[in-house]
Amino acid sequence: MLLKILNDWFKRSNKVERLWLLAKIEFKLRYYENKLGLLWALIKPLMDIVIYYVVFQIIMQQNIPAFASYLFIGLILWNFFVESTTGTIQILNTKKYLYEYSNMNKMEIYVSTLLSNSIGFFFNFMMFLIFYNFFEKESTGLSIQNFWILAIFLNLFILALGMSLILSTIYVIAKDITQIWMVFTSFLFFLSPIFYKLTTFKARLPLFEYGNPIAGIIINARRVMMEEVPPDFQLLGFDYAYAIILLLLGIIFLNRLGSRAAEKL
Amino acid sequence: MENGIAITASNISKTFHISEDSHNTVKHRLFNLFNPPRRKDVLALKSTSLEINKGECIGLIGRNGCGKTTLTKVLAGVYPTDTGQIKINGSTMLMNLGVGMSHELTARENIYVSGSVLGLKIKEVDKLFDAIVDFAEIKDFIDTKVKFFSSGMMARLAFSIAVNAGADIMFLDEIFSVGDMKFQEKAIKIFESSWIQGKTVVLVSHGMEVIRKYCNRSAFMKFGQIEFFGDTEKAIELYKTDNQ
Repeated sequence: MLLKILNDWFKRSNKVERLWLLAKIEFKLRYYENKLGLLWALIKPLMDIVIYYVVFQIIMQQNIPAFASYLFIGLILWNFFVESTTGTIQILNTKKYLYEYSNMNKMEIYVSTLLSNSIGFFFNFMMFLIFYNFFEKESTGLSIQNFWILAIFLNLFILALGMSLILSTIYVIAKDITQIWMVFTSFLFFLSPIFYKLTTFKARLPLFEYGNPIAGIIINARRVMMEEVPPDFQLLGFDYAYAIILLLLGIIFLNRLGSRAAEKL
Repeated sequence: MENGIAITASNISKTFHISEDSHNTVKHRLFNLFNPPRRKDVLALKSTSLEINKGECIGLIGRNGCGKTTLTKVLAGVYPTDTGQIKINGSTMLMNLGVGMSHELTARENIYVSGSVLGLKIKEVDKLFDAIVDFAEIKDFIDTKVKFFSSGMMARLAFSIAVNAGADIMFLDEIFSVGDMKFQEKAIKIFESSWIQGKTVVLVSHGMEVIRKYCNRSAFMKFGQIEFFGDTEKAIELYKTDNQ
């Protein structure tokens, strides 16, 4: 019965098609407008890895095993979060043409933009898999635990969607949320275990992985991709709770503030 | 007859809060915590109720500034209402000089995006694609970004998407002023041949001939209120008296 209803809905509605169309166009706009095209999606994390590798492994000698891969997975997850939050603060302004003339649901605009970022993440993740399995000397290879990355990425997607909804709707009434969020993200970047040794991070900031949802997501992604162990379920539970609470808050913000975007922006 | 109704609005109203100082940054808000901005409330739409049936063509007339555009935006679901409730059955499209388009996208991409926003499936847009391009007379520029289009080309494309794709409920605000005379003739022809049949249309115009020709019922608005809603001739008469 339920399946039949869902099947009917998919057949009659064009929502799924529309989300995918908007995501594809967004992706194309981002990467195909410049000379290097999609290569940029791959070059950027590689350049970041080189910088952090030189600083933290060569100069500061942290001695983290498989450090390039350790950085790689941390950075692509972090970049997805930043692109989906900082990159979408002005979304109600830039995508005004979609809702100004019709009663299109604004949530679709957010989901399609995050889907477009997910395509970028997918390419980066494929690069990580190739790097880790073929070029990393200390690699443990593929494992069944790798599949947990799907649940972890879904967690990150919900978290980023919630934050994106909150920030972009605040933008409707306070434009300088853009600058405030930029300061906050650089703070968050240094308070996440992206390039630190996990034991140092935990020793210096005890229990902080429970206070910073991005930290938990990165820690769990490394566990399942590089350590052949399942995620820390308590941490995963906490991070899902954060993401769902922020998403619910975001939906409330969208209904309260976002609905006024057509007249305020 | 729930199925036969396109829009039900009960006791809807809309006030715009216009602040004289722009307190739209966090800094401004913090520094002026005890000095709130001088606000002016403009009651653009007084408490109004109305019902529009499916397949009906409704006229909306009144002098400039009487609230026609606000009412159409509220009925189209673009603006939220302050009071009351509004129920919209189907997709809506608001059109003054065409539908919304992104300047960063090509004409082709805009056709697909707008078609999709108006509720069409990709296959349906595929079928309409040539008709849209031909009607807009932009065959040689289909893969050009619309930001390089002239204003006339832009208006023609937007109009063409709107007439060929269409939504369930259409709000047409002075649409017959797009393009040159030849294009206007084409616009009127397509309007008569396809839109009038089966679609719900709310027509905003200062041209009484247009209203008289297409609308069975019309609303006359004055000072943000619907003064009369019913027979078109009566509404036109009230509008003419108001203009004297």
